Amino acid sequence: MQKTKEIQTEFKPKILAFCCNWCAYAGADLAGVSRFQMPTDVRVIRVMCSGRVPPELVIRALANGLDGVMVLGCHPGDCHYSEGNYLTRRRAHILKRLLTYIGIEPERFQLRWVSASEGAKFSAVVKEVTDQITALGPNRWAEKR
Amino acid sequence: MLDALAQAYDLIAPVQGNNISFRRVESGSEVTLDYINPMLSAKSTFFPQTETLFRFSRDDSEEFGIEPAREPGRSQVIFGIRACDARSLRLMDMVFDGQHKDSYYLDRRKNTTLMGLACFDYLETCFCPTFGIDPASGEDVDILFSDVGDRFLVEAFTEKGTALLERFAEFFAELRGDEEQLREGRKAGLAGMKRLDVKGIADKMAQLYEGPYWDDIGTRCLGCGICTYLCPTCHCFDIADVSLDEGGERFRCWDSCMFPEFTLMVSGENPRPNQKARVQQRFFHKLKYFHDRNNELACVGCGRCVRHCPVNIDIAQIIDDVSSGKAGNE
Amino acid sequence: MKATSAELQTRVKDLFEDGTISHFIGYETGSDSLRVAPCFLEGSQEIGRLVWNPVCANNLAKYLLDFKNVPGRVGIMVKGCDSRSVVELLKENQIDRDRVFIVGVPCSGIVDREKLLQVMGISPTQVVAVQDEGDSFLVTLTDGEQRVDKEKVLRDECLVCRYPNPPVYDVLTGETVSRLPWVGDDYSMVKEQEALSLEEKATYWNRELSQCIRCYACRNICPVCTCSECIFDKKAPRWISKANDLSENLVYHLIRAFHVAGRCVDCGECERACPMNIPLRRLNKKVEKDMLELFNYTAGIDVEQQPPLTTYRVDDLDEFM
Repeated sequence: MQKTKEIQTEFKPKILAFCCNWCAYAGADLAGVSRFQMPTDVRVIRVMCSGRVPPELVIRALANGLDGVMVLGCHPGDCHYSEGNYLTRRRAHILKRLLTYIGIEPERFQLRWVSASEGAKFSAVVKEVTDQITALGPNRWAEKR
Repeated sequence: MLDALAQAYDLIAPVQGNNISFRRVESGSEVTLDYINPMLSAKSTFFPQTETLFRFSRDDSEEFGIEPAREPGRSQVIFGIRACDARSLRLMDMVFDGQHKDSYYLDRRKNTTLMGLACFDYLETCFCPTFGIDPASGEDVDILFSDVGDRFLVEAFTEKGTALLERFAEFFAELRGDEEQLREGRKAGLAGMKRLDVKGIADKMAQLYEGPYWDDIGTRCLGCGICTYLCPTCHCFDIADVSLDEGGERFRCWDSCMFPEFTLMVSGENPRPNQKARVQQRFFHKLKYFHDRNNELACVGCGRCVRHCPVNIDIAQIIDDVSSGKAGNE
Repeated sequence: MKATSAELQTRVKDLFEDGTISHFIGYETGSDSLRVAPCFLEGSQEIGRLVWNPVCANNLAKYLLDFKNVPGRVGIMVKGCDSRSVVELLKENQIDRDRVFIVGVPCSGIVDREKLLQVMGISPTQVVAVQDEGDSFLVTLTDGEQRVDKEKVLRDECLVCRYPNPPVYDVLTGETVSRLPWVGDDYSMVKEQEALSLEEKATYWNRELSQCIRCYACRNICPVCTCSECIFDKKAPRWISKANDLSENLVYHLIRAFHVAGRCVDCGECERACPMNIPLRRLNKKVEKDMLELFNYTAGIDVEQQPPLTTYRVDDLDEFM
């Protein structure tokens, strides 16, 4: 059924959030159960560990037109698989710097640590990142042809 | 004159970027004549690297629609094309205007006037006389510009060429009578050009299908697409669809027989499973298979592949080895 | 290069004749005196083909993978940068150390063909030979000789080379080279780029990468791009469209820069191979700098060193709290 297109008067970003199953996803769940208010522009994808997210997935997502990509994982030291998030951390440094170097706003990719008990932090992070990316405006990557 | 041409037509001429390539220009000031041959040939003017074939969409009533992406034929002029590239278009015509007509290519080809630029100098990698190409002639263009020192001698070779010269007559002056002589004088600079012997080369190639000659070259080859993409006669392409929610498009894009998946089948079978097989096929295509079908060799001696191959695979060397019999003795 | 072709030929001939190696990967003269081609020998009969001179730009390391399964050992000649690539291949178990016999050739710089032709105002057919003379090259032409300052005609990557002597080898042919005197700040090119505004950066890379024709020469010539199925060749899922628009080109170059992160040794082959003169070193060198600053890591020095993205320190920088 073809939906009538809404006329967008203000920019609403599309943001992906890869949440690790053990901490961040549980934290997101807690935020929901606790009825914390947050913007609804973030789409969550559950992964078993933040270390599972390869940088090419982030690059591809941004290239497809997503305005922002977040990776949320356990705090360093608390990874369910011991080391996954340490590797994520190293990768994220390189990726952020590479994106900036190419001229893409580094805020479009964010790595954050959210534990299973940090429902409030999850909603705060979602709000903060949504605000940041809304301020940046739409991601023009997909229009570069 | 170039400014006026750019106003009246889509003018495509050599432009200096990271290297010199044919691009659409809006004025004569963007054009450079400081080249023997541009890096990318004029092939992309008729056969762009990526080309949308048609778009499809679903409208409100769920009806499926297809619309062609091709704009109705815009008139183009290519300025500054060399004899080798001009000949390559004749060879491409055998493919795109042969048994199957390619409307995308032909639309552009029919609406384009070729303004050639005669060569009086050459690069160490040029060897067009090998294929019967005269670098200073206008056989394959509509109009030829020859720099005879202080002016250009301009000649039309086709009706299309004559018509364009008449339309822009204000930019041309009367002949002074010595132009032909000056040109012959300048052609002396071409005397040292490499002219290889390609008599019977298709048959000689047939003897080399088995045998170790291609081993070394095959191992050396990186399997990149430089030779195929820079070659003015290479014409293989792939077709793919891109779909989005409301519709999408089908496009075609250059492909290279050097890439491993070029002949990969859905079953996983690959009739050219290693680089040796792929490299061998490319030279067989250029020097035998194309000749078997069209009675012409599919190389114009522009030398681009030789100049830019990172591992120095040299088609002129290979032609020489095959022709002289050296390849068979390895 | 203090070693001559003759010295190298003698060395390799001995290696064949005493059975140390069954194959050898080296260089032979190419289409003109400013070109060489990779050369593969199976015995000492054609030893005369081997050359070693300031034109030997190719990084031969990747060819080792084509000789993984030959009986006997495969010998290879490597400059400093090439040897570092071999270290990376060994680190990743792409080939066993005992299957390879490394002939190290200390190198004091490779000639950039285009720079030489332009600086000297000549055409390639006029050149007969190029010899190393310390701070200059002696270029023998068809009608005489000329000296040219190395600094004017060296390849860009040689101007910032820190490893003229191979860090790993079985035997060395030629005298070791002391550090090149003109090496300045290796990363000045990167710092210049980093200093631009975000928009200037985007303009720069959009302009450069829109010229990419996706020939994949950079990937295919890169000694550390060794995946048996490259991500860009995968059909299911398809990561990248074959269409060469700027959007896809950016995806290709960013992913490749990331995949060689911490493995690239700046041999410069990618940039040399690129037919569109895209400044690929300017991109890869940025990641190399980050690896050094963030993780104190330099690729291609020590086979035992753990690749930086496969390991971690608990006290790694953390901007993400």
